[in-house]
Amino acid sequence: MPEEINDKKVFSLLEVTQSIERTLADRYKSSFWVKAEMSKLNFYKHSGHCYPDLVEKKDGKVIAQIRAHLWRDDYFRVNSNFLRVLNEPLKDGIKILFLARVAYDPVYGLALWIMDIDPGYTLGDLEKEKQETIKRLREEGVYNKNKSLKIALLPQRIAIISVETSKGYADFIKVIETNSWNYKFFHHLFPSLLQGDNAVQSIIYQLSLIKKVRDHFDVVAIIRGGGGDVGLSCYNNYELAKEIALFPLPVITGIGHATNETVSEMISYMNAITPTKLAEYLLQAFHNFSVPVHEAERIITDRAKRILNEENVRFQSEIKLFRSVTENVLSMNRSKVRSLTNSLLQHVRFIIRTREESLRTARSEIVKWTNMFIKDAGQDLKDFALTISKDAKAQLKRFIFILFQFKDSLQLRSGFVFRENLTKLNNIEKNIQNMSPENVLKRGYSITLLNGKPVRSYMQVGEGDILNTTLYEGKIISIVNLTKKNENE
Amino acid sequence: MKMSKQIDYTEAFEELQKIVTEIEMGEITVDELSEKVKRAAQLIKICKTKLSTTEEDVNKILQELDSGLKEDE
Repeated sequence: MPEEINDKKVFSLLEVTQSIERTLADRYKSSFWVKAEMSKLNFYKHSGHCYPDLVEKKDGKVIAQIRAHLWRDDYFRVNSNFLRVLNEPLKDGIKILFLARVAYDPVYGLALWIMDIDPGYTLGDLEKEKQETIKRLREEGVYNKNKSLKIALLPQRIAIISVETSKGYADFIKVIETNSWNYKFFHHLFPSLLQGDNAVQSIIYQLSLIKKVRDHFDVVAIIRGGGGDVGLSCYNNYELAKEIALFPLPVITGIGHATNETVSEMISYMNAITPTKLAEYLLQAFHNFSVPVHEAERIITDRAKRILNEENVRFQSEIKLFRSVTENVLSMNRSKVRSLTNSLLQHVRFIIRTREESLRTARSEIVKWTNMFIKDAGQDLKDFALTISKDAKAQLKRFIFILFQFKDSLQLRSGFVFRENLTKLNNIEKNIQNMSPENVLKRGYSITLLNGKPVRSYMQVGEGDILNTTLYEGKIISIVNLTKKNENE
Repeated sequence: MKMSKQIDYTEAFEELQKIVTEIEMGEITVDELSEKVKRAAQLIKICKTKLSTTEEDVNKILQELDSGLKEDE
């Protein structure tokens, strides 16, 4: 009961808290469904109770906040429901729909007593978060970034994000290490948590390490497996998914679970259902390289052999063809030569025969013509001789006749002429005697001869000529000194 | 250094494929044959070697990680 102190009505703290407790108990008689975000679960292992922090946020700001408690038995039941429905345990940072009562305890104060949580609501919310992550990645244009990277032809150097003791890691290593094709991989483990909320930061941290030494690696493999399907919603986390999407190396995932594909798996370069399958994917990449190399070896060997073979066959057939062609040509030419020789011989024989013939003809012609000519000539000669003798006789008779006439006339006239001419002759004789050279020479004239010819003009002789001068008595031989024209002429 | 090695086998692979295509299309003459086959043998060797060996050194990676971490601090 309240006391009176200095005229004031004073309550004890217990009285106040009990009053509040009573008031609240009167006001909140029944349980009701509440939706809120459970920012912290605050599970106490020792007692098994949880004291979740519940908040409501608007635009990122807390606009309502209250503590709650979830007693041990309720927690176990709710948690197993969650695991069954969501593959996720009750955890921090999820939205929950819960059945609650307002609870007030004089010592612990006001709280909501969580009696049950509907996993369906959280499932929807997680799905919503997943969709939200996908949407954001798409909007930012990074959703396909990792997928569009070019993976090395041989993804040989693998940065593994996993847990050394996990079965998935062991499976993966076993497959790539003990492959029967002797493919050699290099791998290095970057240990990380792989499930639960802390996996997000842990994986992101290991990715940041790998980024520093990325030149040593071709591909990043996130490998998990053997731990059940619980706690995988971390792979829907926006931060992690974005980190993977933007990672400079192709990220491949083998997370190993039966539930829906997480965002990280969706946006990774390649996702395999299990670590073993992931390892097989890498082996396949090696096959994709190795098979064509072996194939190339086979094809090149085969084709090279075939080309050589074909070439050889072609060469042989060319030789054959060449031989047959040359033989043909040779025999053709040989027969041509033979036929030309024959025809030449024939021609020559023909020509010779023809020539012989024409020679013979010519000879007989000549003989014929000569004979004919001789005969004609003989006849002519005979005729001529006859004519001559005839003519000659007639001529002779005429001459004789003329001679007789002439003899008579001569006899008649000669006596006369004789006498007449005798006188003349006597005169002439006298003149002639005066004109005879002896008489001329006697009178002192001389004849000068040059080379037996009489010299009449000074022009006939030159200096040094030898002149022969005949005198009445004797001769003078002289050499010419000078010739000149008579000055008076 | 490592990058160039990587390019080597990728290029080797591509060049090999080219030779295979050429020889399959009958584009290789007898004159080139010997040279091409010799080259192909080299390329095949590079590729096969790459499949079965790796030259990465864990210590070097760890060293680089260490120095990287120090820079971060």
